[in-house]
Amino acid sequence: MKIWRLTPLYLLLTVYSMFILLPLLSLFSASFKTAHEVFDPNLIPLQPTLENYQMAWTKFPIGRFLLNSALVSISVAAGQVLTSALAGYALARVSLPGQRLLFGFVVTLLLIPGEATFLPLYDLVTALGWLDTYWALIVPFLATPLGIFLMRQFFRSLPQDYFDAARIDGAGHLRILWYVALPLARPVLGALGVLSFISAWNMYLWPLVVTRSTEMQTVQIGVNMILNEEAARWNVVAAGAVMALLPTLVVFLFAQRQLVRGITLGGLKG
Amino acid sequence: MARLEWLEGYGLLLPAALFLLVFVLYPALQAILLSFQTENPFGRGRAWVGVVNYVDIWQDPRFWASVVITIRFAVMVAVLEVVLGLVAALLLQYAVPGIALFRTIFFLTTAVSTAVAAIAWGWFLHPVGGLLNRALETIGLPPQGWLTTPEWALYSVAAATAWQAIGFNAILLTAGLQDIPEEIYEAAKLDGASGSVVLLRITLPLLSPILFFVGILALVRGFTAFGQIHLLTRGGPSEATTVWIYRVYLEAFSNFRFTYAAAEAVLLFALLVILTGLQFRFLGRRVHYG
Repeated sequence: MKIWRLTPLYLLLTVYSMFILLPLLSLFSASFKTAHEVFDPNLIPLQPTLENYQMAWTKFPIGRFLLNSALVSISVAAGQVLTSALAGYALARVSLPGQRLLFGFVVTLLLIPGEATFLPLYDLVTALGWLDTYWALIVPFLATPLGIFLMRQFFRSLPQDYFDAARIDGAGHLRILWYVALPLARPVLGALGVLSFISAWNMYLWPLVVTRSTEMQTVQIGVNMILNEEAARWNVVAAGAVMALLPTLVVFLFAQRQLVRGITLGGLKG
Repeated sequence: MARLEWLEGYGLLLPAALFLLVFVLYPALQAILLSFQTENPFGRGRAWVGVVNYVDIWQDPRFWASVVITIRFAVMVAVLEVVLGLVAALLLQYAVPGIALFRTIFFLTTAVSTAVAAIAWGWFLHPVGGLLNRALETIGLPPQGWLTTPEWALYSVAAATAWQAIGFNAILLTAGLQDIPEEIYEAAKLDGASGSVVLLRITLPLLSPILFFVGILALVRGFTAFGQIHLLTRGGPSEATTVWIYRVYLEAFSNFRFTYAAAEAVLLFALLVILTGLQFRFLGRRVHYG
């Protein structure tokens, strides 16, 4: 009786899962197929082989691509968390002349999308001599108005008593920030870090225009390179894409709970 | 003492202010200046030409074609993302055995980057090896050139773009659903409201702010999608997927009309400011603290 009522639900859940999984499963499947078999529609390879992985790995510096992406994304996330925490605290908890004006300025900057400014930014980075270096990939993104906004909102929400108590004990703002505000903000900092990491990892247009050499390319652009050079061998392309996917997939599967919490916190509750 | 506090405060603001001024505000102002200039063909310099670029854009049918394509694309992406994200979040509300596994699967695309999503879909839609065409053949339908025919390409790229984001949207909407107080549902149950009435009269209205937020976010994503198009179609076939931002990229880095591209980007900027402004009004209203 209960099973009866649940059947349509499970059917819907399964159909939706197929929609999510089939493109990925088909990619995994192709990555293990021989050149002979790759265009056969079967999902389970008849003669599974690791040759495509070996070929993709030896022909393209996939390890380097992944390392570049990790380095860039971690640096950007760390930088954004740090600059946002400091500025958010100053805007929320220090009595400053022009504070409202400064906050208004941050809010205005929220309106400026990276896609609209990438050409002058490209000019700037060229003038600085940063083309094809980590500087170009990291430095322009070390602060974000959204991060400052979220941190300011959070710090404002903390009870005044905590700060008064620390003040009476004679602590300066740096000490209060370090010992009182930041420990309380850990979930928000985590949320901001996760969001910053994901968006930096996903950057495509910017790394495409500022990197030249294979050594400097992030995994997104590396995948594009593999696709260009191996378009005739989809099993090799698939193996390259799977290797690009695995690190984030593993992190997702292990840290799913924190990731989801991070995104909901960062996206909605600040 | 008070002066020391100022100093401390400004000191804390300094790193963020520095990066934002140099890498956000300056390029934004520079974009506007660039759009009123033109490349000097005899040197490396640029010359002020007023609104010439904008007049050229006004008369450029390829630009307007890309605008139309972009709007169609962004609307497709936004509708797909909101509808599919909502379906996922609603299905996940049922606390049935095995739901944790489905939740993992539904949120999974959060772990899939733009490039990997593009490759997965490129293969899924492949004319010969792709699963979709093989499936169509088994049920007796003709295979399609999903990425190689102008009629299908835009839909295909939109599907791939939306697919990558629905995991993230499902997370946001699940959080939104959890914010709806349980008592309201219990009251409706006592009144004997049917499932569809609860959905239409309670869930959707209470979810509407977050639906709106997710919708605008998806729309902005649609207006600025670049990676999927660069990887899957290169703007083709016959410019059927040359969206606005892709045209900006082509003008700047293939046609070397940098300032003309800047003017196109400024126009996109204006449109995105309006969209983000809407989103921010929502964010400002939604996030309340003490």
